Amino acid sequence: MSYYFTILSPTDVPLFNIAFGTSKSGGDGIARFRFPDTAQYMNQFIIHSSLDVVEEAQWMNGNMYLKHIDTYPPASAYISAFLTPSGARFLLLHQPPQLPTNNVSSATAGSGSILGSSFSGSGGSSSRASASSVAANPTSPQTEEAVRQFMTEVYENYVKTVMSPFYRQGMEIKSSVFRGKVTAAGRKWL
Amino acid sequence: MSSATKASRIGEELWKTRVDKVNAELVTLTYGTIVAQLCQDYDGNYQDVNKQLEKMGYNIGMRLIEDFLAKSNVGRCANFRETADMIAKVGFRIFLNIAPTVTNWTSDNNQFSLVFDENPLADFVELPDDGRAQDELWFSNILCGVLRGALEMVQMQIEAHFVSDVLRGDDTTEMRVSLVRYIEDEMPPDEE
Amino acid sequence: MTQPARHAAMLSISNSGSNLAAAAEKQQPAQHLHTQSQSSQGLRVPSNRKTIYDRHLNRSRNAELSRASFAFLFAEMVTYAQRRVTGIQDLEKRLNEQGYPLGLRLLDLLFYRTMSSSTSSSLSSSSTSASPPNRPLRILPLLHLIHGPLWRLLFNRPADALEHSVSPETPNEYMITDNDPLVNTYISVPKEMSMLNCAAFVAGIIEGVCDGCGFEAKVTAHNQPTEMWPGRTIFLLRFGESVMEREKVLERAGVK
Repeated sequence: MSYYFTILSPTDVPLFNIAFGTSKSGGDGIARFRFPDTAQYMNQFIIHSSLDVVEEAQWMNGNMYLKHIDTYPPASAYISAFLTPSGARFLLLHQPPQLPTNNVSSATAGSGSILGSSFSGSGGSSSRASASSVAANPTSPQTEEAVRQFMTEVYENYVKTVMSPFYRQGMEIKSSVFRGKVTAAGRKWL
Repeated sequence: MSSATKASRIGEELWKTRVDKVNAELVTLTYGTIVAQLCQDYDGNYQDVNKQLEKMGYNIGMRLIEDFLAKSNVGRCANFRETADMIAKVGFRIFLNIAPTVTNWTSDNNQFSLVFDENPLADFVELPDDGRAQDELWFSNILCGVLRGALEMVQMQIEAHFVSDVLRGDDTTEMRVSLVRYIEDEMPPDEE
Repeated sequence: MTQPARHAAMLSISNSGSNLAAAAEKQQPAQHLHTQSQSSQGLRVPSNRKTIYDRHLNRSRNAELSRASFAFLFAEMVTYAQRRVTGIQDLEKRLNEQGYPLGLRLLDLLFYRTMSSSTSSSLSSSSTSASPPNRPLRILPLLHLIHGPLWRLLFNRPADALEHSVSPETPNEYMITDNDPLVNTYISVPKEMSMLNCAAFVAGIIEGVCDGCGFEAKVTAHNQPTEMWPGRTIFLLRFGESVMEREKVLERAGVK
């Protein structure tokens, strides 16, 4: 599994992002997105195109952790969201390793998914090997729980960041210590 | 019993019995907003921020000493060493619930250091990563002013400044305090 | 509630929406974070490597400090602010602005603490539906959050009253009362400034909490002394139009 994690401010300014790969099931923690050349732009694009879904879910569901809320079938990408009470959004894109052949040409399909239909895209993944492991199945309860743990740990460090009197809402988080903590949380849970 | 031990006991007793309390984080966060606001107002000129913090502390010290004397009911200190213990073990205990270590005396007994193991003013704080704040800003500089203001009201002219701060990446937080002179005639400075 | 055209704004991708993926490849997202920012020296840390990330967020949870220290600091903050403004309104505005970011911080701290205590006490039943706190979606839970947990975090007690405006003209107005605000206890306001209420600072904190939660509001502090409570202060919360409209939508959708 490859992951792309980002923190967006309430006005959608990116405050932090990081790419990493699974460390579970013998993973080496390195991200291997399917289209390495464009992965960064694609990941950001996919994450941002899920924001309407996030925004809708945000007011229907008071949980901080919203589980996986959107899919982007062309890239087999899944988005999980965690909302802080102060309006920052933690978004995690996960992309399972490329097992079956996937169809690149349908790049425009499914980008406008809304809350109701977004879950339909997850059907195909359940047929993949070792469906219960965090590394393989983005929608299994085990994965949802692992992502929750990851998000919660990141949140703790995020709160420590924002508690400093010199941190102002919307400031990019540049601390290498924070980055290290997020990396460690990824290694621990995902 | 040493003057330091005695002062520690007085401080702890007073903290337990005579001090009205509030949530520590309210104080910490309020101080944080003050410093952050100054940094903004002075446009990142940290020297000016240090000066302003010292000035604010001086104003506070001049009023705080009354509160201190009323609560502690201690008499005049016999010498500057006793004064140092009184500041560290009674004053800091009453107002910040800490007791910094008094150390590094000069041989003339006119200069010492306060070493802070903890500093509630700086909880949660990380200095701005702008390449300057860690070299120029003394986040807790208000404390230097408090000492100067308070001691001036009891006829001691002192000078205080920080020489290190864990917020800057130093291993300790240390303030250097020097007696300049006793202001009253009846207490002439020690002559060597 | 929804803001159209946000994708275009965020990614500065051209609005040729037909093949967005292709557009994404062609153009560089404006706000893409450069990893080079990592290469700056960063902050120095003590040799024990301790940073803010190594300090437990609950460490000072029940810690206390002297009330006088708070009063001295707060008074100094007001005096300093006073020198940089032209009138009472200006001063209150400034105090409000200083409280605002504090509100945002306290909000996150409050949720973190509720979360950490709810998971530690019910670790055995840590299914996905364990009970972390909910973000307030409606005005009422938001007000309860302020009146109870926020006040307790700041002042170790809840506020004294919570009311909704009785006037049909102003359904967007709510009032939180504090009979004896800490911030006014030690502050003696000069006679010529008798209208000043330093609780504007607290009003700013409340405003930060409201805004953070997505409830745009203006919050002001007003003196309402009674014989028994000479410092009694009413915090008036006026929610914005968009908030009131969302309330109606959520009400219809059955969101509580």
